[in-house]
Amino acid sequence: MVTLTIDGTEVTVPKGTLVIRAAELLGIEIPRFCDHPYLEPAGACRQCYVAIEGQPKLGTSCTMTVAPGMVVRTQNSDDTVRQAQVANLEFLLLNHPLDCPICDRGGECPLQDQALAYGPGESRFREAKRVFEKPIPLSPLVNLDRERCVLCARCTRFCDQISGDRFIELFARGAGERVSIAAGEDFASPFSGNTIQICPVGALTATPYRFAARPFDLSSGDSVCQHCASGCNVRVDVRRGEVVRVLARENPETNDAWICDKGRFAFRWTDASDRVTTPLIRDRGLEPASFGEVLSFIAERCVGARVAFLAGGRLMDEDYYALSKLARTVMRTNDLDHRRDEPGLLAETAAASRPMAITSRELERARVILVAGLDAEQELPIVHLRLRKAAARGARIVVLHPRRTRLHDVAEHVLCRPGQQATLLAEAREGRGPLAALTAALRDAGDAAVVLAGPRLAEGAADAALLLATATGARFALAPRRANDRGALRAGVHPELLPGGRRFDVADERAEVEAVWGPIMVEGPGRSTMRILEACAARQVDVLFLIGVDPLRDLPDAALARRALDNVPVKVVQSLELGSLEPFADAFLPGASYLEKEGHLTDWEGRGQRIAPMRGAPGISRPDWEIFAGLAAAMGSDLGFDTLDELHEEMGRLLAPRNGSEVPAAGIVDVAPRPTVGGDGVVLFTYPLLVDEGRLSVGADELKAALEDPAFVEVAPATAERHGLVDGGIALVRTASGSAELPVRVTEHIVDGTAFVPFNQPGLAANTLLSGWFTEAASLESVTLAPADSDDVAEPEGVPA
Amino acid sequence: MALFEGRAGDEARRIVERYPAAHRRSAVMPLLYLAQSIEGMVTRDALREIGEMLGITTAEVEAVATFYTMYRLRPTGTHLVNVCTNLACKLRGADAVYEAAHREAGVSHGQEMSDDGLFTVHEEECLGVCDLAPAVQVNFANHDGVTPERMRELIGRLRGGDVPAPARGPAMPSFAAASRVLAGLDPEPEPALEEVPPA
Amino acid sequence: MSPLEPRLTRHWGDPSVIGVDGYEAVDGYAGLRQALGMADADIVEVVKASGLRGRGGAGFPTGMKWGFVPRETGKPTYVVVNYDESEPGTCNNRELVEREPHRLLEGSAIAALAIGCETVFIYIRGEYLWQGTVLQRAIDEAYAKGYLGADVMGSGTRIDVVLHRGAGAYICGEETALLNSLEGLRGQPRLRPPFPAVEGLYASPTVINNVETLMNVPDIVTKGADWFRELGTEKSPGSKMVTVSGKVERPGNYEIELGTPFRVVLEELAGGVLGGRSIKAWTPGGSSTPMLTAEHLDVALDYESVAAAGSMLGTGAIMVMDETDCVVDCATRMVKFYAHESCGKCTPCREGSWWATRVLGRLEEGHGRPEDIPLMSEMGTNILFRAFCALADGTASVINSSLKHFMDEYEAHVRLGACPLKVEHVGVAS
Repeated sequence: MVTLTIDGTEVTVPKGTLVIRAAELLGIEIPRFCDHPYLEPAGACRQCYVAIEGQPKLGTSCTMTVAPGMVVRTQNSDDTVRQAQVANLEFLLLNHPLDCPICDRGGECPLQDQALAYGPGESRFREAKRVFEKPIPLSPLVNLDRERCVLCARCTRFCDQISGDRFIELFARGAGERVSIAAGEDFASPFSGNTIQICPVGALTATPYRFAARPFDLSSGDSVCQHCASGCNVRVDVRRGEVVRVLARENPETNDAWICDKGRFAFRWTDASDRVTTPLIRDRGLEPASFGEVLSFIAERCVGARVAFLAGGRLMDEDYYALSKLARTVMRTNDLDHRRDEPGLLAETAAASRPMAITSRELERARVILVAGLDAEQELPIVHLRLRKAAARGARIVVLHPRRTRLHDVAEHVLCRPGQQATLLAEAREGRGPLAALTAALRDAGDAAVVLAGPRLAEGAADAALLLATATGARFALAPRRANDRGALRAGVHPELLPGGRRFDVADERAEVEAVWGPIMVEGPGRSTMRILEACAARQVDVLFLIGVDPLRDLPDAALARRALDNVPVKVVQSLELGSLEPFADAFLPGASYLEKEGHLTDWEGRGQRIAPMRGAPGISRPDWEIFAGLAAAMGSDLGFDTLDELHEEMGRLLAPRNGSEVPAAGIVDVAPRPTVGGDGVVLFTYPLLVDEGRLSVGADELKAALEDPAFVEVAPATAERHGLVDGGIALVRTASGSAELPVRVTEHIVDGTAFVPFNQPGLAANTLLSGWFTEAASLESVTLAPADSDDVAEPEGVPA
Repeated sequence: MALFEGRAGDEARRIVERYPAAHRRSAVMPLLYLAQSIEGMVTRDALREIGEMLGITTAEVEAVATFYTMYRLRPTGTHLVNVCTNLACKLRGADAVYEAAHREAGVSHGQEMSDDGLFTVHEEECLGVCDLAPAVQVNFANHDGVTPERMRELIGRLRGGDVPAPARGPAMPSFAAASRVLAGLDPEPEPALEEVPPA
Repeated sequence: MSPLEPRLTRHWGDPSVIGVDGYEAVDGYAGLRQALGMADADIVEVVKASGLRGRGGAGFPTGMKWGFVPRETGKPTYVVVNYDESEPGTCNNRELVEREPHRLLEGSAIAALAIGCETVFIYIRGEYLWQGTVLQRAIDEAYAKGYLGADVMGSGTRIDVVLHRGAGAYICGEETALLNSLEGLRGQPRLRPPFPAVEGLYASPTVINNVETLMNVPDIVTKGADWFRELGTEKSPGSKMVTVSGKVERPGNYEIELGTPFRVVLEELAGGVLGGRSIKAWTPGGSSTPMLTAEHLDVALDYESVAAAGSMLGTGAIMVMDETDCVVDCATRMVKFYAHESCGKCTPCREGSWWATRVLGRLEEGHGRPEDIPLMSEMGTNILFRAFCALADGTASVINSSLKHFMDEYEAHVRLGACPLKVEHVGVAS
């Protein structure tokens, strides 16, 4: 620790602390523009001057680390320093346009604030200011007003140091220096919005927010992003009851100071025009009803019936807990599940019973990391940034994935066929195969080794990753995709697991739950998501609850989903909207959105984060747990809690971290895609990209314009050649379930013999090609694009999606 | 069609190999000269191709290219006439030489190049010929102690297709040819005046 | 008074030394041969003992700089030759290499031996197209003769030389900006610490030396530190190249003994003020050093004496203005240089030099207001020592020294609403 004096007051700080940070600890604000606590010091703006005793020149407090006995004087106690700061602001304001009345930053602008506090009162400038064309769109999301830029380079430094997406840069030099994109290219980074937030002036503004509001119009609340499981802390700004903006909230434990563009710009779904806020009952059409009416309606049909529950990934922990209890104790079924890819029971019980096995900060400090089955940039963007931080600290990162990810500049990629991952991981455990060297490295790194398992490790493959971690002493984390998939798992929204990762079929563990819930009168473990749909299609289910999930869109078999909906007598939809389920729903229960309820979400680490409501629930929508409690009451039962506090108290008893009993490690087999690939077919695999046609992106037009790809099929050069495909051409992709014509992208960064199709882009809902899993056997054929008026057109078969 | 193909591709690779393998980004400067030598200026496509070759983004290449005065990203005359007007040359009458350059070449102030595509005129900072001021460079070949009359003569001869011998070193027949030498490559065996297509 | 015996320029009359055979004939590469037989530390010691100071402007003791290089880091060490010579008024590096390129190669190779370096980079300014060709030819000759390459003079030591050309940016003469430029980044300077000796080129220990500095090294090795100290002063030993330009009869590059009075250089070497006029102002070390006046003719040209007179020796780029030259006009042009060359990174340099060109321009054209003069004075104060690197100090030097010594000229511009010298002399002075 180092002790120094600032403005006459002593302060003791860790060695290596910057003087500007030490001052902040004393409540002394030194003005600054280029300094940012999460970026490397630049010393560019020269605003943060201080005087150091014994040094003839003033120094920039953002670049100096503290020294023992240092005596620092800020503008508060030294006139030379104050005068230097005034002079520097004078320089910065010379060319700054008088845009405040029309600038989005007005009212929350560091330049305004600091000019007022530390700058000159009048201008001595008599020349003509530099003018630029404005605004310049750097992308459909980000606009640049060059005249306002103070060239602090926070934006370009963020892109260089944090996201690695170096699409904006400083061009030219001197007074002509300017932030720019390359001619003809775009600022196409999924982290671009962060530059807007850290820009200390109004040079970078967001298209969705341009001219939309003033800070004093807004009522703001703290929350947690609902998109992925990174657990990013956000601030939501609401104007006249509608969300107009989402900003990152600083939290070094989860997201540092960043959020991705989806979290920032996809915020309109809670205010979508098709939101339904009253219960509905189907008579001839869907008619509004009261809660009492709809709950009775549903309850009548559930008594003695075969009930199944499918849940999405974005309810609160409390909602999932209530659902889990409702299913077992009231509906007497284990047929409940959330959107899982069935990673494996070992991995799931570990994740459910022992949260925080590894934290984001520990990930950052790891020395060796295996990222298996995860495209972090697309699926957990802020974890992607955390991995980049680890790499910047010298971590060795290996990515095991069927196609290259955007970590490729800092991580070695081992490309493998989907379905081959379990085998490779098992081989690695024995010190064989392409990952053998990594195994040794994991072992040598001890506690600083991490194995991160993502959604591609489905069908039990995550267990292979866990076994590798155990064998090498590395720490293991299962990385889910959606914001509260982990909460669902922990609460036991799972056919085989009760709350806390307790296995239903292990008597001791079940007894622990029964001690709180009372007897669980269910025969055996239940069916998983896709088995539930199959059972529905086979008329083995009487009532199907769809809670925050649309199987036609979200689950990997559109045809099966349709058959399921066609064959279940009663379908209850509980969500914010009906969407494509409107023709099928027999009853609709309006849920409150995250803005309107209190609760917790559990991120990929297992960290529970609390959110509070920031507006009243519209109409008569209600938090999901209350609806479940009401349904239980309508069934003549009682979930046992009337208030959230009571629910928490009970939940806390079952969700404390625990060590489960040994889970038998099943033999790990090479999981072949179904049906088996033969001949010249390929393995098709899919996963959702970050910006797609998912429900939560509804209305995010600027985001989609900036970052959404149209549907495509991606293959390796050898694959393309074998099937006569060319980059930019059209391919007919055919599976047992369907077919689609898609533009072709040829890249060497995908395994030969595979084809990647994104899950839900404009032009293709890929689940029309799937039969229950995210991999599928497929065939590829070139489609000849014929000239407009040619007669010899080969008509392709199949129906484009 | 790619810029760095065939012989240019081989030359580009040799340039990259001058630097340590882990630091090939250093090659961006000579590669910009190579691109300039082929197209008479640095084009958007060249920026992109250089980026692909070095594993950096186009923006990173353009950031470097726009930093320096000797890379031209806009249409440039066959001949680049640089006139130093910094103090040592100014004291020996460079301002008049600079005006003469604009006048004789038919390039007005702010114009990128003459209408006939032959000349671009740059006002330059100190060229390191203070002992032989006023200093002028034609395609970076040195003409020393230039007067307005001498400038008229130089421009006239260039217009006539003749490349006047500089005061020191060999003549550079064009801006593109000079760029090739600046890329660290041997000049073309028989330098000829190259035409730059109009913008 | 010429140097007792020319050192750096002793072969300037002999064009044969440009080629390797001619250079060998005058004992060229004898220093390298001797250095190959010395321990690295001993090479550093003899250069330290000589008191040689960096000739590129900063004047930092060369041997000390070499001594800062850590040798056990596991990373390669680099010698980078700063041939970016762009200080207005300086062109001695240019001529030194034109006339004896092998001496630079020999000095660089000895520096490489001193710090265990296997690859020397020479960063040459882009505008020196022909000088680069001369140098590359010399490099090729040196390789052919085994003075460079994998097995220098059969010693088993490797020394490679890579010539890297700049593209027109004065700031790239600043050490850390040069390194960034050489690495393929924008030529903007870096924060220090870390210092280049520890983390320089490619984050590896690096020594950056000026051309003239390195060209002194072969003689120091063969003739010794004491010999080097026979010229010059205690703190500024040796000889120094100066460039004299502007209003003098014989502009040129001259080698002088450090400590020579300016008057001797002006009158005996440069032939006095052009046309017999009288000197008004002169820069000792280029436009970045505060200008001095006729009152300073007897200032000795060494680092200490010039500093005591309120300026800096820098590169020894002496530009002479006479009574027909308007200081405001000259200052305007010099400040424009800094505005052009500012890298743009920091506020006072980028905005200050831009603003200064506008105000000075108005003053020179006769549109100055009385408040512009105190404004310029404050601007000078607000730029000096306030920027990221010393480029802005050059701007401030011009502003502050011209105001200090020639306030009357500034005031006359405002009072007359015109430049007094352009009013009196119709047409442009030449």
